[in-house]
Amino acid sequence: MSILEYNGGAIVAMVGKNCVAIGSDKRFGVQLMTVSTEFPKIFPATDKTFIGLPGLATDIRTLSERFRFKINMYKLSEEREIEPRTLAHLVSSTLYERRFGPYFVEPIIAGLDKDNQPFICGMDLIGCINFAKDFVVAGTTTDSLFGVCESLWEPDLEPEDLFETVSQSLLNAVDRDSLAGWGAVIHVVTPERVITRTLKTRMD
Amino acid sequence: MECLIGMVGKDFVLTAADTSAARSITVMKSTEDKSRDLNKHVIMLYSGEPGDTVHFAEYIQRNVRFYEIKNGIELTPKAAATFTRKELATSLRSRHPYAVNLLIAGYDVTALSSQLYWIDYLGSSVNVPFAAHGYGAYYTLSLLDRYHRPDISLDEAKVLVKKCIDELKSRFIINLADFKIKVTDKDGIREIEI
Amino acid sequence: MTDRYSFSLTTFSPSGKLVQIEYALNAVAQGVTSIGIKATNGIVIATEKKSASPLIDDSSLEKVANVCPNIGMVYSGMGPDFRVLLSKARKAAQKYKRIYNEYPPTGILVKEVASVMQEFTQSGGVRPFGVSLLIAGYDETGPALYQVDPSGSYWAWKASAIGKNMINAKTFLEKRYNDDIELEDAVHTSILTLKEGFEGQMTENSIEIGIIGGTTTGFTEGKERPLFRKLSPLEVRDYLT
Repeated sequence: MSILEYNGGAIVAMVGKNCVAIGSDKRFGVQLMTVSTEFPKIFPATDKTFIGLPGLATDIRTLSERFRFKINMYKLSEEREIEPRTLAHLVSSTLYERRFGPYFVEPIIAGLDKDNQPFICGMDLIGCINFAKDFVVAGTTTDSLFGVCESLWEPDLEPEDLFETVSQSLLNAVDRDSLAGWGAVIHVVTPERVITRTLKTRMD
Repeated sequence: MECLIGMVGKDFVLTAADTSAARSITVMKSTEDKSRDLNKHVIMLYSGEPGDTVHFAEYIQRNVRFYEIKNGIELTPKAAATFTRKELATSLRSRHPYAVNLLIAGYDVTALSSQLYWIDYLGSSVNVPFAAHGYGAYYTLSLLDRYHRPDISLDEAKVLVKKCIDELKSRFIINLADFKIKVTDKDGIREIEI
Repeated sequence: MTDRYSFSLTTFSPSGKLVQIEYALNAVAQGVTSIGIKATNGIVIATEKKSASPLIDDSSLEKVANVCPNIGMVYSGMGPDFRVLLSKARKAAQKYKRIYNEYPPTGILVKEVASVMQEFTQSGGVRPFGVSLLIAGYDETGPALYQVDPSGSYWAWKASAIGKNMINAKTFLEKRYNDDIELEDAVHTSILTLKEGFEGQMTENSIEIGIIGGTTTGFTEGKERPLFRKLSPLEVRDYLT
């Protein structure tokens, strides 16, 4: 049993036409025992960027707090919002700092940059970045998510269609994973606004 | 072998902890109170490595008290849980991590709501309507899931916790002789009988 | 034992002044003049390169220096102190890049250098730096020119002068500067300003010029952006004639 699979959870992010979407399940468990169904794994970084942190729950909390601190300090000292690409490198270097005693999370970053160009990327637990043009997945449901995203994703989806694609991908994938599911939340980032929706799923 | 149970009611939190202190296959004591009051409205139940548990619980208890004396305010259940979580998370990556699992229950006198936090030795912390720690969790969570409601009354909660304890008595191989049951509400923390 | 009792040398005088800092500014005022001008499309920084003896090989002197690809700086005052600050600035820039994979904006780098200079006015057992700096950079917000003093205070300028002839040079710049000056003109203006207080013949080997913006672009981090570079003696000669 990998430490990364101890608490369970799944996250997926996709690129659309001038928009990105990121979604996660809401389960928190200890191995096969579900403890909570209201555990957030996606955190806002800026008005147009989100960080998803699947993995060990204690590290999800610790890192979400550390990144909030770092992003706030960046905003204060640079007098501007951090760009998603810059944030990705900040997250990466924060993780690599702990190369030989890592935080057990595999972050996903999704957002729009200052020119409203979509940006998504995934990372392993020591900060090796995977830049993607289409979609990234992480967590205990990666195998199913890869398959379902591969067949459902297409280029240049409008925000509403992208929401549907991410939702269906996530829902159908977590239904095949006993460690993830129990509700889901999806954020779609567009240049004008962020659409956040909570989804009902099978609760068994 | 230890068991902690907690549930949030309409304007109270009900907590139960078994009272047996065992070492290897021997029960050394059967009247142990596995809880510490952090302040008038927040209680912490603990289980885990003997020695670590009481030491850690009292360390938190005294630091919470110190904070309150220094700043002249009472810590909310959320604040107490956040502080405790961070102590455990820091401890996890130290040379000798504390092996302590906790339930932090309390009544938030400013928000007028009762809260329950499930915290494990890794520093995972979740706000939950009901929770359990130890092997007992495998037997009681299903009962709590079936019968717990957010607006459950104290009388109903007593019946439910009785159900959980009876289930442990009939199915769990280990004899957990007795449980100490406490209620935390706007008037503070008190022990009750069921 | 020595480090336990290391008190700050920079202490308040009864009138509320930090005389050590004033002495440092005197050291700057004795230093060779440096000029900085912000143009619409870039920045020029320039200084005299004065050597004590004609026997010194002045091609080895470097007063205008690169901090990172998009930032350069020049000083007036004490050369050895400048080199300390330069290496601290370069290190700060690399440290920033290690975290964010991009070079720091001018303002951030300036803050970093200024805070080092401030620390040396409050720490025990050290003296303030005997230099003022002109830092030129180009970032997402465009060109920016900063001056940093020994006290650690800093300002952004449209054009400034530090060192021996700073009063005259600033008056000259006030007359010559206008808001829509271009980099080519700014280079000429900086040379003219230097000539004001120049002793002897000005040659390509007796001044140093650094520019950022205009045609000096290059690729860093996969994007084309303005780069700071020093003008070669040949290029300087073209401006002088």
